[in-house]
Amino acid sequence: MIARISDLDRMFDAMGLLRGRLDNVFNEFDRSVTYGPHWSAASNYPQTNLFDKGDHFELAAKIPGMSKEDVEVKIQGNYLEISGTRNVTAPEGYRVHRNELGSASFTRSLTLPAEVASNKVSATLKDGILVLTMPKSEAAKPRQISIK
Amino acid sequence: MDGKDVVKKEKGNVESTRSIRQEIPLVDIYENDDEILLHAEMPGVKKDNITINIDNGNLTLSGVRSLAKEGAAEWEEFGDVEYQRAFSVPQTIDVDKVQAELKDGILALHLPKSEASKPRMVEIKAG
Repeated sequence: MIARISDLDRMFDAMGLLRGRLDNVFNEFDRSVTYGPHWSAASNYPQTNLFDKGDHFELAAKIPGMSKEDVEVKIQGNYLEISGTRNVTAPEGYRVHRNELGSASFTRSLTLPAEVASNKVSATLKDGILVLTMPKSEAAKPRQISIK
Repeated sequence: MDGKDVVKKEKGNVESTRSIRQEIPLVDIYENDDEILLHAEMPGVKKDNITINIDNGNLTLSGVRSLAKEGAAEWEEFGDVEYQRAFSVPQTIDVDKVQAELKDGILALHLPKSEASKPRMVEIKAG
């Protein structure tokens, strides 16, 4: 009987795999048709991740193909605005066979869960990912309360 | 247990050992007389995590993005991913001279054409 169960298990695995493939079909379908950066078609802004690390927030934004001169970041209180442009031009003297990376510009504004000290924010851009380290303002920082 | 098996067991039916999401990187392909130039978008992939394989006219690109995750996620719109895409390249590519560089999440791959395959101007001699 044990053999049977492991077989069933394997079958469900295969079904999971198929489901994953089907999930991907939709992503890939839209890609092969639009031939553009996938965030420019439906939503003209880059994907971001926000992590709360206790005394600071860390925001990562996916902005491939942009150098630091192409990106602008504005912060006020808990309001954050990232804007940027990407220019994709064929190198001189080359023929174009395929062009999927498009030029694009974006502005994305985000509301942070708490206010940050805007003068202490630092930003780094590496491998096409913009990382903002934003220390929380004093009032928003977690505080240890000593019990009297 | 002589009954019929639920699923047919196959030799070489290898279980998948990882469940990282796979994506197809977007590419630009350019060509001039000297080389084919390929740009592939792989944001967040470090250069050590990129493999480029050219074998018998098949070019396989693969890059893995693994993000450090610390702290509590407020929101997460992108995660770890494996970028994978394959191309067929003409046999006239000089495999030894292929160069690649990574800048701002874009991989630039230079595939130089071998000397013999470059276009040549034929001079017509006056007879």
